Amino acid sequence: MSYDGSLRLIPAIQPSRATVAVVGRDTEYGVHDSMREGIRSVASEVIARHPVENIESQWKQTQEQLRMTMHRQTFGLHAPLRLQMEKALVNQVRRVPVGPVRNFGLDILENRDASIEYEDFLGDPQWSTNTIDPHVAMEHALGLGHI
Amino acid sequence: MPINEVKPATGGFSFDNYARNTMLNDKGFKAPGVIKTGTTICGCLWKGGLVLGADTRATEGPIVADKNCEKIHYLAPNMYCCGAGTAADCDATTGLISSKLELHRLHTGRQSRVVTAMTMLEQMLFKYQGHIGCALVLGGVDINGPQLYTIAPHGSTDKLPYVTMGSGSLAAMAIFESRWKKDMELEDAMELVKDAISAGIFNDLGSGSNVDLCVITKDGVDYRRGYDRPNERVQKERSYKLKPGASTVLTSSFRKYVEVLDGDAMDTS
Repeated sequence: MSYDGSLRLIPAIQPSRATVAVVGRDTEYGVHDSMREGIRSVASEVIARHPVENIESQWKQTQEQLRMTMHRQTFGLHAPLRLQMEKALVNQVRRVPVGPVRNFGLDILENRDASIEYEDFLGDPQWSTNTIDPHVAMEHALGLGHI
Repeated sequence: MPINEVKPATGGFSFDNYARNTMLNDKGFKAPGVIKTGTTICGCLWKGGLVLGADTRATEGPIVADKNCEKIHYLAPNMYCCGAGTAADCDATTGLISSKLELHRLHTGRQSRVVTAMTMLEQMLFKYQGHIGCALVLGGVDINGPQLYTIAPHGSTDKLPYVTMGSGSLAAMAIFESRWKKDMELEDAMELVKDAISAGIFNDLGSGSNVDLCVITKDGVDYRRGYDRPNERVQKERSYKLKPGASTVLTSSFRKYVEVLDGDAMDTS
């Protein structure tokens, strides 16, 4: 994630047309892979996303940006660098991303240990119908097998 | 939805059905209506604390969905919050903030402050940019004395000595503006809030039924559910039950409703 010095409070309002995701996950030329991703429907890619979906997907990133920029401007370059270093240290443990992946150190750094959010009681991942293939997940985590 | 996900599912909201719902809407199938609390909620400070009041009608379009709903929600032992707007949003928001405050109390070991709840609420409502439709009147007593706040659906807040929200807010505010004084006694404050909510009940179509009150002081909370019931259904003047034998029987048949089986008698051993 790159920090570009933005002081945005909330994520940018996306245009009503969603961007068409052309780059496939495991292919050479960015063509849609029907075997892995299902039959392609251009209508479903072009339809507008709910504004709250856009807010939710970019919220953490936008807040981090704001915080790092304010720290840099108030305390100097060392402040965001130290915070990012702590985060990188905590993210070093590489586990196979199957099942409930918990990172207690990251929870503490992001202040989730003393807070409760919608993610904690809505949409329990235990009941999610997506099955994760550990081989594909590991390939993605190690950066193999896609562009 | 890709068959192979590479990141484990996280919780939270799912927008999988949004495209389908938009398509259904375009084809003419409207989604079911939302239950709103077209409402009168208010609060005012008095000498020893504050009084919150609310009506008890929940509407679904032009229909009364609930004649006796609870609009004064618990947040902390020293704080209560009245909610107007979409009923589910008010319930879920106040429930979530109540849990957050409990975790915060466990973390700090102190009584929650009203500004903490207000900040959590306003930050959450601003994050969702008004899509969470709840307008709240938050009142509580903490180390800094009794405080009363309003939080609008987009996240703006006000700190005031007397507040009203909801569709009946104008009727209730008219009562407050003409009769509120600083450092009132408890009976006067309760009477004033009751009159303000009653103004909303009788003059606004979105508010109705009973008046709920909640008195908060530094010593505790007195939650008066159904403090005033001006709309109780009166007993009918006559009894409209029919005497047995009042309708003439033309034909009667029971054989088509009874299944006649051939077989042994029931074994009751």
